[in-house]
Amino acid sequence: MKRKVQYHITDSVETLELTLKKVREAQKIFSSYTQEQVDKIFLAAATAANKARIPLAKMAVAETGMGIVEDKVIKNHYAAEYIYNAYKNTKTCGVLEEDKSFGTKTIAEPVGIIAAVIPTTNPTSTAIFKTLIALKTRNGIVLSPHPRAKNCTIEAAKIVLEAAVEAGAPEGIIGWIDVPSLELTNMVMKECDLILATGGPGMVKAAYSSGKPAIGVGPGNTPAIIDSSADIKLAVNSIIHSKTFDNGMICASEQSAIVLADIYDEVKEEFKKRNCYFLNKNEIEKVRKTIIINGALNAKIVGQPAYKIAELAGVKVPESTKILIGEVEKVDISEEFAHEKLSPVLAMYKAESFEDAMDKAEHLIADGGYGHTSSVYLNVTTAQDKLNAFQARMKTCRVLVNTPSSFGGIGDLYNFKLAPSLTLGCGSWGGNSVSENVGVKHLLNIKTVAERRENMLWFRTPQKVYIKRGCLPVALDELKNVLGKKKAFIVTDSFLYNNGYTKTVTDKLNEMGIVHTTFFDVAPDPTLESARKGAEAMKAFQPDCIIALGGGSAMDAAKIMWVLYEHPEADFMDMAMRFVDIRKRVYTFPKMGEKAYFIAVPTSAGTGSEVTPFAVITDEKTGVKYPLADYELLPNMAIVDADLMMNMPKGLTAASGIDALTHAIEAYASMLATEYTDALALKAIRLIFDYLPRAYENGALDAEARERMANASTIAGMAFANAFLGICHSMAHKLGAFYHLPHGIANALLITDVIKFNASEAPTKMGTFPQYDHPHTLRRYAEIAEYLGIKGDSDTEKLDNLIAKIQELKDKVGIKKTIRDYGIDEKTFLNNLDEMTEQAFDDQCTGANPRYPLISEMKEIYLKAYYGE
Amino acid sequence: MELKELIAVRPAKKVYKDGDLAIKVFEEGFSKADILNEALNHARVEETGLPIPRIHEVTKIGNQWAIVMDFIKGKTLTQLMKENPDKFEEYMNRFVDIQLLIHSKKAPLLNKHRDKMHRKISESGLDATTRYELHTRLESMPKHTKICHGDFHPSNIICGEDGVDYIIDWSHATQGNASADTARTYLLFCLEGDMRKADYYMNLFCKKSDTAKQYVQKWLPIVAASQLVKGKPEEREFLIRWTNVVDFE
Repeated sequence: MKRKVQYHITDSVETLELTLKKVREAQKIFSSYTQEQVDKIFLAAATAANKARIPLAKMAVAETGMGIVEDKVIKNHYAAEYIYNAYKNTKTCGVLEEDKSFGTKTIAEPVGIIAAVIPTTNPTSTAIFKTLIALKTRNGIVLSPHPRAKNCTIEAAKIVLEAAVEAGAPEGIIGWIDVPSLELTNMVMKECDLILATGGPGMVKAAYSSGKPAIGVGPGNTPAIIDSSADIKLAVNSIIHSKTFDNGMICASEQSAIVLADIYDEVKEEFKKRNCYFLNKNEIEKVRKTIIINGALNAKIVGQPAYKIAELAGVKVPESTKILIGEVEKVDISEEFAHEKLSPVLAMYKAESFEDAMDKAEHLIADGGYGHTSSVYLNVTTAQDKLNAFQARMKTCRVLVNTPSSFGGIGDLYNFKLAPSLTLGCGSWGGNSVSENVGVKHLLNIKTVAERRENMLWFRTPQKVYIKRGCLPVALDELKNVLGKKKAFIVTDSFLYNNGYTKTVTDKLNEMGIVHTTFFDVAPDPTLESARKGAEAMKAFQPDCIIALGGGSAMDAAKIMWVLYEHPEADFMDMAMRFVDIRKRVYTFPKMGEKAYFIAVPTSAGTGSEVTPFAVITDEKTGVKYPLADYELLPNMAIVDADLMMNMPKGLTAASGIDALTHAIEAYASMLATEYTDALALKAIRLIFDYLPRAYENGALDAEARERMANASTIAGMAFANAFLGICHSMAHKLGAFYHLPHGIANALLITDVIKFNASEAPTKMGTFPQYDHPHTLRRYAEIAEYLGIKGDSDTEKLDNLIAKIQELKDKVGIKKTIRDYGIDEKTFLNNLDEMTEQAFDDQCTGANPRYPLISEMKEIYLKAYYGE
Repeated sequence: MELKELIAVRPAKKVYKDGDLAIKVFEEGFSKADILNEALNHARVEETGLPIPRIHEVTKIGNQWAIVMDFIKGKTLTQLMKENPDKFEEYMNRFVDIQLLIHSKKAPLLNKHRDKMHRKISESGLDATTRYELHTRLESMPKHTKICHGDFHPSNIICGEDGVDYIIDWSHATQGNASADTARTYLLFCLEGDMRKADYYMNLFCKKSDTAKQYVQKWLPIVAASQLVKGKPEEREFLIRWTNVVDFE
């Protein structure tokens, strides 16, 4: 072909340096091209390659002395047309995708220079394929042809290059080595940005050891099983069609047919009928010695017609012979026919069963074609189980069904979803980084632009919350009239039971004719044992409704019984697993409420458990506390009736009231706080400051204070049920567990020191949450102060005054100043301190705290709370 | 030194015995560099403690270079094999054991086998395509640093009367992949036309060293190309057939 352009000859290190320099400069310009420019070039290049398909095919056969012109025309045609068609609309430049709501963008960038090793077997089509996909992705490419096929490979590259330049591509965007040598090939591989190596294992290995990212492919040794259920005509003729294509030089081509015994003769007849030659024993031996020399493939037979190979072996066959078939038995490499032959020579095995056929196929693949391609012929309707077994067992990246594998493997010819490609990845089995058919996506660097987004939050609360003094029987009316419940199981503690607190409930249930039973064996810090007992009773009674009446302990115990009743198989260890984000937790909490409706009726103003998704249970045997948290644990109904709280003793009023205060304060400071929870938290805080002293002093005499405190507790519960808590609770949980301090007292002892700790404007570490953009907890506390009407000239002053007010409230309700004041021995405290601190650090509540604490910092807080300032 | 008792004649060299010494005398015009290299190789291997004669002197006798070393009293393994054909298997076992002993040693300053093979492939006179295939094949072989004798053949083992088997002729010694050394020995047997011996040796070596046969076979095209450099017309067709193979694609 006539050349318009003169190219310098690349035949030495110096000239290759020049080539690489030119390609690199061209690629720099090319990398700024738009999709439109690139697509125009891609079209022009594909068209030019397409037009040259016949001259290139002729050149390839003439130069290499291998293959068939007509088949090479198909390969060239395929490389131009199918690759163009597959990628013509694919975006490969700039922004590929944008998701505005998630704030992500993906951007395609070229990798730079691609080193392309081109094999002798497909010297023009592979060159077309690789140059086209390089152009489509704005990459430069340097071809390293095989010495046996260098002229036709370079001609193909020139045709593509000239058409591309004509269409606007930078000159020199495609380069090549004119006089190939291992030294120059290695140099290209070392200097490039990515290697597309197609070739023998030696070349693939060289690519992988060059230190550059490489997409290499390996040898194939495709076995084709013909099952008894197969369409024999289709199977045999597909194999012949595929095996004779370009004289067997496609790496996915069948190397052996494994035929089930019951159809063996019929298959053999069909092969014979289509001019395939079955070698006799003597001839097999001759052909063996010809095709393989010392375990390696004889170069002389590659891509030769069957009769010529026979001739070389000294076997006479008709010139029209399509394939030489050797009926052999051994599948290991000591059998020459078991190797990859790159020629129309086929091994044929008889299999006793499909299982035996798979054993043979597996062995052939492991020895010669790990990761490449396997093929099976069967009836996909009646023999689906065989296909399933085959696809599960074959360690090949392509598993072809009823398909000639030469055509099937390269894609888009016999299946239209398998990507067209002349570079077939063989996965880790073949030592490759890619297991699919190589395409444009493998030649791109994809950048992901991720904008900061805030994390979705939520507000969840029981479907029904009933409030007002005396509302209990009114609310329970629904059980019959709305919900149609028939059996209620009441959980309470013995004190409440013995003092008639459940009577309002049972009277109402009796009145409505709902059968009920009461479990009252719940102690403070409820144990797993007691929960199990309750669950056993539930199992016997089969309630469709559970009414938990009591303080935090009774409500938590009832929640656990509810879990055990609905899901006896549930494992507490799993359920109590800590999470970073409740939505992403590993454990999926079982679905609740399928057996029973859950009603919570608090009798103290503090815990908030009636509206929270939390429950804590202690394993009495190990002492381990399981804090469970999941919205499945949210009661279905909460009934807040202050009549049940009138006679709370002073100590309980104080402890639970302060507990509610810490709930609200921590929920407000939490990183997960929202305007929804803020409103609730602020309101609860103000109610507690206003009414806790009155409720404490006046008790049953001050119904208003009791009711306001009841509401404050539930409102605070709603706030922390959604915003969660912080390290005051983390530390109080462990302090309470170590020294049996009431939970509210433990919180009261820690809250002021925790507030001071969190308020730091320059914390050692801040919490990790998109909404928490800078350490702003001081402001949050100041907001609480402002809402309470606390004055101050600065946020720091407001904070100090808020702390003073909290201290004042604690004093008013009789809470002592330090941990030491509660009679905890100093030595014991110090001895346990490290362990307690570490456990507190690991508490679930730590995660929402706005300041991420160091363990040493938590220890410091404990010490301050122990001694006082 | 007296060059009276001629004990061996090799192409371009003669070996004489003088008391406890053997004197290897090179023909006039023999490459000085090759002679000094042989002596240096020999000396390096001596340091590994392998049972080999010690070199005492590299000298000139008239216009001829000579290497003076211990004379080992005994017969070569080739002679013994000829004399006691019934002990073939025992001798082969001994032969392979000695080769394995050599492969277990290292001499980091010896020339690299890989470099030598690349050079030989380039000098082989094969066509560019075949050379390209062979260079690629060689480059992909695992890089090891074991001592390779390079001409390991029963004629280079002297079974000393002191009961020690001495290894002689270290002129081709390199460090590299043991399987390449094995492939070379296999080729030597094949060139002698004794396929039975060759196959027996190959199988025995692979078994004793727990090496896959195809791994050794991968070296055959390379050692065949290297042998081509010697330019022996009677070997040419055989060697070319061995080199004309391709890697699978």
